[in-house]
Amino acid sequence: MPSNPSPSNSCRFEGCTLTGALSVTTSVCDSISVVHGPSGCAHHNFSLLHTTGIDNDRITFPRLVSSGMQDAEIVFGGEEALERAIRSAVSDNASVIYVLSTCIAETIGDDVKAVCSRDWGVPVIPIPTAGFLGGSFQKGVNNALLAVAGSAPISSQGVRLPGLVNIIGEKNLEFEVEENYREVVRLLSLLGLRVNLRFVHRIRADEIARLGSASFNILRDEDLGVIGEELSRRFGTPAVTSFPAGFSGTLKFLETAAGIYGADPAEAIAKERQVQEFLIRDFADIAGLAISADHLVDGSSCNLAVREITGLLDMEVVRDGARVPIPPVPPVGTTGIKRMLHRWRRAVHA
Amino acid sequence: MPANRIMMKQIALYGKGGIGKSTTSANLSAALSLQGYDVLQIGCDPKRDSTRMLMHGNFIPTVMDLVRERGEAQLRKEDVVHNGFNGVRCVEAGGPEPGVGCAGRGIIATFQILEKFGALSGDVIVYDVLGDVVCGGFAMPMREGYAQEIYLVTSGELMSLYAANNICKAIKRLSSRVKSTCRLAGVICNARNMPREEELVAEFALRVNSSLVEFIPRDRIVQLAELNKQTVIEYAQESSQALHYRSLAACVIKNTNLTIPSPLEIDALESLALEFM
Repeated sequence: MPSNPSPSNSCRFEGCTLTGALSVTTSVCDSISVVHGPSGCAHHNFSLLHTTGIDNDRITFPRLVSSGMQDAEIVFGGEEALERAIRSAVSDNASVIYVLSTCIAETIGDDVKAVCSRDWGVPVIPIPTAGFLGGSFQKGVNNALLAVAGSAPISSQGVRLPGLVNIIGEKNLEFEVEENYREVVRLLSLLGLRVNLRFVHRIRADEIARLGSASFNILRDEDLGVIGEELSRRFGTPAVTSFPAGFSGTLKFLETAAGIYGADPAEAIAKERQVQEFLIRDFADIAGLAISADHLVDGSSCNLAVREITGLLDMEVVRDGARVPIPPVPPVGTTGIKRMLHRWRRAVHA
Repeated sequence: MPANRIMMKQIALYGKGGIGKSTTSANLSAALSLQGYDVLQIGCDPKRDSTRMLMHGNFIPTVMDLVRERGEAQLRKEDVVHNGFNGVRCVEAGGPEPGVGCAGRGIIATFQILEKFGALSGDVIVYDVLGDVVCGGFAMPMREGYAQEIYLVTSGELMSLYAANNICKAIKRLSSRVKSTCRLAGVICNARNMPREEELVAEFALRVNSSLVEFIPRDRIVQLAELNKQTVIEYAQESSQALHYRSLAACVIKNTNLTIPSPLEIDALESLALEFM
């Protein structure tokens, strides 16, 4: 994830549609993702996914196959090369194969859907991921989630299990993806709720069938609105639109989740408020400091969460204050704020 | 042999599909060869039939087919360059079947391979390019280092003039680039025997800032020659039709009237066609 999210350089956030989709599909552990394009498209994504995985203590190799398009495939069409790559994935015992297109494959008009629709013996699911069509990293994530969701049986509608929640669209490449997940699990436990499925984070293909079984969904962030709507349409499952950001956002999250589930949030909110008050007292040593946080974007959810904390700690945000690290995305839950304040303390005392 | 060797001329023939570019190109190449020039004709169309009459009806293996079958590393110059009528060297770029792949990339790849082999040599290179300049690949022959002289092949029919006018737009755009040497060299009327056709095409040529370099009437000898798998130049060397191709060849060699075209607006083009109805 970007460490210096300068608002003047927003193109950093647009990214590659293919990479976004692969961040989802490679998290279906027994799947293989076929990248239909030149080998470089697979190579640099393999490197990125592998190194990001190591950063998050996952020493696994993303299962990618490239169709290895070269000049002859561009001139004569790449569908035969794609067939070879899919055959290779089938022989490698994939439970499901995701076929992701690239800019060049879609430019020359290869009919990826038609190749995928043949009888391969295992599901072969095409995902459109040509970035030149105006897509972004997020578009790739969304396209992949929609395609993977399409393989979940509708028959699971109507067998929703009480107390179970789906986590939708975790940012698999973000630093602290596991910590953020654990924080949401902790908050849900205050309401007596458990996670049904992490859609999609380190799951098996057969687990996708459980997608329609949850009482409600929790989206990682609001960019996944289209996924929430699709799951609501397919399974009738309502959604909380984002992970919690900031202290008040966390309390609001508990209230919203309880409201959707039909539970009383009072006890959970009271407990969490106590945790937050204890946290503020615990960081009294850095209260009242002047800090510099010059790349906070006005009105952003990250800004709101950070400003809330600086207010509670009587801090002043000034141009030449103590430089403290501002996270690129809002800290998740009370624990996310706690980790941020630990970093601030280290920076102040360094 | 011509009295004086000339600087290598690279010319390209563009025009609407089916207008007779390949017939004109093959006869032009044959006529030039009979005038003693060393000629290379390159068919830049996946249909691969540009040089067929020069090769006595044979389809030569295309550069792209050979790359696909053997791989570029295994290719030699003699695999892709074939000697046809009177020593005219023939190359077909080839390309994908209709509906798949990218034919334009095939043209670019062919040019890169011919460059690598040093095959782009001789007194005259004739590039015979498919109908419209549909993408950058089919503009390749107009780019720097290749054809500097573009000839439009057209009849007096509106759609044919429309295509020729579109090609003028491409030439104008390319000629505005720094170092570009691509220019419009003239208009060839491959007639449909419409009334006042020569006048119309001559006027069109003037309006786009060029000139009519040859009027080739419609003659069944062209079909007869093709049924005998020959160019008109070979099949009926003394025919009046062959005289037109020889006249065109002489004009191409002497032509120094290279211009940046001024394409017409569609209304102006239609009004022009109406004037000669």
